[in-house]
Amino acid sequence: MSSNHYFKHEGPWSDAGDPLMCTDTGDWRTRRPVVDKDKCIFCGLCAIYCPIQVVEMKGDTHFEADLDFCKGCGICAKECPKGAITMISEGEFVS
Amino acid sequence: MAEKKQARLTKVLDYLKHDDPFSKGVAFCPGCGLELLLRFIPRVLGNDIVITGTPSCSAPVLLGQNNQSWHTLSYFGTLMTGAAANATGLVRYYRKAGIDNTVVCFNGDGTANDIGFGNLSGAAERNEPFIYICYDNEGYMNTGIQKSGTTPFGATTTTTPYGTVSRGKNLRRMNLGLKMAMNKIPYTATATLSDLDDLAKKLLKAKEAKERGFCFLHVFAPCPTGWGADPADTIEICRQAVKTNYFPLWEAENGRIRMTKTVKKPKPVNTYTKLMKKFNHMTEADHVILQDDVDYEYCLLGGLSVLEAECQLPVSVKDQGETS
Repeated sequence: MSSNHYFKHEGPWSDAGDPLMCTDTGDWRTRRPVVDKDKCIFCGLCAIYCPIQVVEMKGDTHFEADLDFCKGCGICAKECPKGAITMISEGEFVS
Repeated sequence: MAEKKQARLTKVLDYLKHDDPFSKGVAFCPGCGLELLLRFIPRVLGNDIVITGTPSCSAPVLLGQNNQSWHTLSYFGTLMTGAAANATGLVRYYRKAGIDNTVVCFNGDGTANDIGFGNLSGAAERNEPFIYICYDNEGYMNTGIQKSGTTPFGATTTTTPYGTVSRGKNLRRMNLGLKMAMNKIPYTATATLSDLDDLAKKLLKAKEAKERGFCFLHVFAPCPTGWGADPADTIEICRQAVKTNYFPLWEAENGRIRMTKTVKKPKPVNTYTKLMKKFNHMTEADHVILQDDVDYEYCLLGGLSVLEAECQLPVSVKDQGETS
């Protein structure tokens, strides 16, 4: 019996009907990762090292972070072997 | 163009066969090594694992808050003094009920090395079939960065501050992985977050080896908040820890140690310590002590792994490793 059907609920404390908790961690960000699509070699290192696992494949050309949840830690920019990701201050995106 | 790009895709993605059971926005600090590890484990081992854990940095997320939760895994929250004992109870219940699943006891270094070590040691002796994963952030980070047994020499914490009397921790760190390997349990390994394919292999190997008994994984997970490091440097810290032999990567099957990654020219330990503020005050003399400690532990490991390869083990020990 490999499928664990005894424990198909949302968690130890939760009502099964309740949705999962989710915080808008995108609010924490002070710097935003911006991807240079031409420099991206599609190695996926940003996706595997992202602690929040929000860097997703966009088609088969480049990777991009989900800015709703990206905490702006900058690991993707640091680990990119081609320097295709730059961290730009959020202030520059305020209109 | 697109095919050419596809060929470069990292092989780690092949190990991520399962869905991420956690919700996207989870209350961990930016750049937290623990969060990467916690999301990685169920994606490799499958979502039908049962996690037990203790009050630690992982607990606010794993346990949930009020009557909602952050993930869809099964979690059993226990006390720090009884982490491995509770996992033992779970495993024995599942065995009696005929349920085949993987119990993962997921604790920090405070539980594994200090408070819950008695249980851990007992579970290792009884060879209980579960996986014990210790994420090592070198201190009690959740309660406010106090020192633990695995805090290295010289590190500043709130209980070993830098000032006129104290110059950081004046004791050596304990080597938890080696302690557990000496119990001759079926599988012991150290892993870190910069080598994720190595970590995935070790997780899958542990899942296999847990059929034979107790498995222990010691994972080095930096804490940018507690160590005073740049959140972007989390992976770089792991990489330098391996390259300076500060945290060597090895595995041991039935106590037979084998290095999984050997560094040809290890860098001096100050290439690692300069990445964080907790070692800022350290002088040359302090670095010599830390370097000696690192070198000693690495020599010990290297010696043990060479011994395993060279010495004539009794036939019964060899059989045990391959068949049991």
